[in-house]
Amino acid sequence: MRPDTAALARTLSAAGLKGIEIDDVPSLGVVIHASAAHARPVLSALKASDDGFEFLVDLFGIDTTEAVDVVYHLRSFARDEEVFVKVDLDYGSDLASVWDLFPAALMPERECAEMFGLTLSGHPNPKHLLLTEGSKPFLLKQHLIRTPEEVRNR
Amino acid sequence: MDPRHLVSHAGWLTPNPPTDVEFVPASLKRAPMGVDALDTERLIVNMGPQHPSTHGVLRLLLELDGEEVVAAESVVGYLHRGIEKLAEHRRYNAVGTLMDRGDYTSGIFNELAFALAAEAIMAVEIPRRAQWLRVLLSELNRIASHLVWYGTFGLDTGAMGQFLYAVRDREQLLDILEDITGQRMMFNYVRPGGVVADITTTAEPKIRAFLATIDGYLDEHEALLGGNEIFQGRTRGVGVFERPMAAGFGLTGANLRASGLGFDVRKDRPYAAYEEMDFSVPLATEGDCYARYLVRMGELRQAVRIVRQCIDGLPEGEHTAKVPKVIRPPVGEAYAAVESPRGELGVHLISDGTENPYRMRYRPPALYALQAAEAILPGVLLADAVVILGSVDIVLGEIDR
Repeated sequence: MRPDTAALARTLSAAGLKGIEIDDVPSLGVVIHASAAHARPVLSALKASDDGFEFLVDLFGIDTTEAVDVVYHLRSFARDEEVFVKVDLDYGSDLASVWDLFPAALMPERECAEMFGLTLSGHPNPKHLLLTEGSKPFLLKQHLIRTPEEVRNR
Repeated sequence: MDPRHLVSHAGWLTPNPPTDVEFVPASLKRAPMGVDALDTERLIVNMGPQHPSTHGVLRLLLELDGEEVVAAESVVGYLHRGIEKLAEHRRYNAVGTLMDRGDYTSGIFNELAFALAAEAIMAVEIPRRAQWLRVLLSELNRIASHLVWYGTFGLDTGAMGQFLYAVRDREQLLDILEDITGQRMMFNYVRPGGVVADITTTAEPKIRAFLATIDGYLDEHEALLGGNEIFQGRTRGVGVFERPMAAGFGLTGANLRASGLGFDVRKDRPYAAYEEMDFSVPLATEGDCYARYLVRMGELRQAVRIVRQCIDGLPEGEHTAKVPKVIRPPVGEAYAAVESPRGELGVHLISDGTENPYRMRYRPPALYALQAAEAILPGVLLADAVVILGSVDIVLGEIDR
């Protein structure tokens, strides 16, 4: 279920990725924090390692009100383990596609980019998935679903 | 004239920017298989968003060379209601109402996934009776959902009669679910802490009456559709997902198990009372449409088996834990998944300690199934495209959310 954090650190270190922060969050599981520049090498190393994190369970964003956290939820069938990779991205910054590593990311990346106002690069079809082109990033906290007037008058 | 927006928030949309993106990614295109030697004019066809074979409001953009699909793109979003955003503005007990509207053929699973995630953050212990009731309702709902798939999949392959029989059986199940939950579709039955009400006294005889007939009906279904030579001809060797592709595209549930990967959330990440249940996980290795059919028919039998165990061994006790009316989980984060009829339905929940979820992510198994199906459409015949789409069992409410 939960991978050994020391073993994960060794895997990342062997791939030349030093100083990557790994947390064991009690109610969630093992979370690897990576910068935008390290995101792809970390995912690539996890997939290629003996741990075999070949399966992308899900990909989505979180607006932390300071940045957008993009979460890659990976699973290893071989070891029956799961890991979350969290990548901090500035608002409006670039989300580099990992669809060639995980084809499962094709649609969720499009959704994540449109919902959080990120630009999607390296994706074969970087259009909006659910909303009309040009619509606001709907899942950002600053985007209210009710105007202040509506909240006061309800 | 009142210039305000009627349906959406004022300022909702800005004008559409021109888009010069090619509609099918070049890297996903495959060379035509060369079904015939004729060089015919390419035709762009919009299948859906109301075509019966698209199983909801899905629009399939197809580029056809005669009867062969050269390129395909699925266009979704027609049913998008912003469930994830709305959940951030609802109390925990009210989110179930939204979840029901995701995968509307199997609402219990959506509610359960959210409740499990909330309970994981709250670290609350759920009474055993509530856990068994969750399993009972889940499996009844699974049978109802699989029957919808079975009926419509038959329609996709050109059959008709079996659809009517599937509806006949499903009616019994909806009557049972209505008896227990008060609703036929949007159940709103599972809540963080347990279930909203105990099982009614009238439900048990109805379930037993259903169990008395269903085995015979399933035999009938298998003979009627699975045993049909035309059906086998339409599904065997069609739409094959090799194991690496199935895993690569994030397939889960019966779609994954038909490709030889036996991951089942109920066995591998047990929740509710599944650890106490005796059942097996049907598996196939061919990865084609027929394999997916066989796995789901096997799952129907197993679901009936679990319902029998639940109704015979339902433990006494409370149907809900003592949770406050207004739930305020501590600050935390959790992921919980259930094995829905379409695969792994997950909820990633983040609590900031207030009465509303800070972020609720709904992991839709049908979205992953759709993109996998889309990827294998180039190179198949149009008639097979309909069968492939039916075989992966998508529900657009879940894809669009």
